[in-house]
Amino acid sequence: MLDTEATLEIQQLVAEFKPGNADLLRALHKVHHRYGYIPKESMAVVARQLRLSEAHVYGTVTFYSELRLTPPPRTRIDWCSGPACRIKGGEYVRTALESVLEIGMEQNTPDDKLGLHLAQCNGTCDFAPQIWVGGKVVGPLSAADTIKLARELKEQA
Amino acid sequence: MNAAYTELRVQADTVWQAVAKPQRPLVRVPIATCSLPRGASETLDALKSAVADRGLDVDVGIIGETGLCWLEPLVEVRRPDGSAILYQKVTPENVEQLIEEALAQDGVCADLAFAVAAGDDVDGILRLSDLDFWAMQERRLLARCGVIDPDNIDHYIATGGYSGLASALAMSQEELIKTVQESTLRGRSGSNFPTGTKWEFLRGKEREPKYLICNADEGDPGAWVNRILMESDPHAVIEGMVIAAHATGATYGYIYLRDEYPLAIDRMEKAIEQARERGLLGENVLGSDVTLDLTVWRGAGSYVCGEESGLLASLDDERGMPRIRPPFPADSGVFAQPTNVNNVESYADVTLMLEKGMEFYQSVGTEANSGTKLFSVSGHIQRVGVVELPFGFPLRELYHAADPAPWQERRTLKAVQAGAALAGILPAHIALKLPLEPEAFREQEVIMGGGGIVFIDDSACIVDLNVMFSWFLEDESCGRCTTCHGGTQRMSEIFLRIARGEGRQDDYGKMAILGQTLQWSNCVHGSASPTIMLRSAEHFREEIDEHINNRRCPAQVCRGLVRYEITGESEALPDAAAICPTEAIVQADDAWSIDQARCIKCNACRDIAPDAVQVVDISAEPVPATAT
Repeated sequence: MLDTEATLEIQQLVAEFKPGNADLLRALHKVHHRYGYIPKESMAVVARQLRLSEAHVYGTVTFYSELRLTPPPRTRIDWCSGPACRIKGGEYVRTALESVLEIGMEQNTPDDKLGLHLAQCNGTCDFAPQIWVGGKVVGPLSAADTIKLARELKEQA
Repeated sequence: MNAAYTELRVQADTVWQAVAKPQRPLVRVPIATCSLPRGASETLDALKSAVADRGLDVDVGIIGETGLCWLEPLVEVRRPDGSAILYQKVTPENVEQLIEEALAQDGVCADLAFAVAAGDDVDGILRLSDLDFWAMQERRLLARCGVIDPDNIDHYIATGGYSGLASALAMSQEELIKTVQESTLRGRSGSNFPTGTKWEFLRGKEREPKYLICNADEGDPGAWVNRILMESDPHAVIEGMVIAAHATGATYGYIYLRDEYPLAIDRMEKAIEQARERGLLGENVLGSDVTLDLTVWRGAGSYVCGEESGLLASLDDERGMPRIRPPFPADSGVFAQPTNVNNVESYADVTLMLEKGMEFYQSVGTEANSGTKLFSVSGHIQRVGVVELPFGFPLRELYHAADPAPWQERRTLKAVQAGAALAGILPAHIALKLPLEPEAFREQEVIMGGGGIVFIDDSACIVDLNVMFSWFLEDESCGRCTTCHGGTQRMSEIFLRIARGEGRQDDYGKMAILGQTLQWSNCVHGSASPTIMLRSAEHFREEIDEHINNRRCPAQVCRGLVRYEITGESEALPDAAAICPTEAIVQADDAWSIDQARCIKCNACRDIAPDAVQVVDISAEPVPATAT
């Protein structure tokens, strides 16, 4: 839970945004950028600022897959769900990641050090099958490569 | 000619001289989403410090992407004599060698040289114009990609940029729209709606302000043609929007850009700022009465926001749920004001048409589709990249240029998927006969789409691809129509069941009913979602039947229908056992076996010990444990 000080900070953060000005997602991006996720309290602040209901803001947050409601892991592993990755063994990579880290997509390890995110194709398909570790592309990966990498990351974490 | 433009051009020409006629060697690195993961920025840094350390009289700079993604990091070396050589896969480790050899008097670094892009032939080095992947192209929209520094507006202007706008400003709105209509330009995203007609709708509206939207939410998995334009030639998109503003009377625009393209967002924002500084955006563009300002608007990960009314809803502070039409965007778009939405490539096409003239624009392509189209190619091919081809170009030739390996050494091409999740999938023998234009694909009851083409060989399974795409469509359905959110969910369930070996013959009947029902969805996400399923059932019936009738996946991909067995001996087996994340590989009485209850079929043991581990059909007899 964030304290009042943090609520004030969010108010300042979104003070520039106005109702009916295509600002909702921009405000949410700004909050997300600052905290790495959308804290529960921030939705009330954003709703008030843009004169929307909290339910509307919550509905919007959950609509988009790049906005999250829980704190991000220290290192996020994005698994590419695109077709070039799929036909080159992307599912093996996913199974390997989930198995070694013992979590599913959109979950963090209990210590929040690593987390998995289902990502969309951005057209670096020469690396298929690929993942992003902390935003950096890694690929092409076999299942064995993935397991080694995931174990290393777990050690380091 | 427009006086303000002429002034800009003079200044730009001076700047461009450093590239066109360099006084000293110029070394440039493409910095783009395809090159960065291969370490292009580290290569750039290494080049800069090597040049500084040696005190060389050499310029170092950046360019955008060429589309030759598989060769990254590329480095281009230009010399005062007019030569230009492309070097491939230049890492910080071989930067020293490159500098040593390529920058010596008349030197060439033969180890790293890929092709001669300009100047005299060099013995033993390919000419870029002789590379089939390059020679087949008609590089118009891509003419500046990999040639100019995308962050430098002067490079754009000096190579003809904003001259199309200057020409457009000399035309009346009617003339301009007529030109765009006569060009046959239709939306490049896959919708194929005539661009000029859309503009005419907006021009006719009296309510102000009017808005322009650039749909840069390129969400089709396997397509990145809009990304390459925005990253490598951002002003071409801006110029097209200013031309559209003149034609329609719109005064404000949003570039709706997907969150997954951070570099494109950066480049577009920088380009907009530069255009503003030069009077190419804002009030009285180039001294005319045209006013347009632009904002890059960042998406947040939603496929259906690429549908124009979903995009508008998303901009309008709603969830990105496609709206029920009418009203159409020209009547009520963003903020309920008259609005026009075009794709990135469509705007760039307008720029090209106005810059080069109609005769040039229509000199390639087909009667119904003038000009060119960008395609990104990926999948089971050697050369992953982006090409620009005239409409009507044979898909077979594109495939051969993208995958030049002798075919007998490789698996067989099985299917081609153009246009991603909503567009369909075709068996190779049909697809390879098609010319690249929308009508030919429509005849096969699929869509050519926005430019992504995935080549799929027989190591892939058609049921697995349906599992993937139907899940994607279900996940990305906005939830408005029961037909869509329920229908895509049913599709997904059916294929998951078939992949588990629990398919039934009456599933085909269910697919047909779903196909009929889904077409009544409000937007194209629902109505086109059964395309892959229906075309698969039509063209790949035998393969699906194998799953249903014989509980067998011919490609051995569906994990419910295969099992991993140790069938041979290998010294790597202890390593395979060690890599196994579930400790399923066990040794008892010197014999190795796989505990089927533990095995998660991740394939890692086969990566390590391919001679000893085999994938067998689930129905096959158990294999006795192997002694070592």
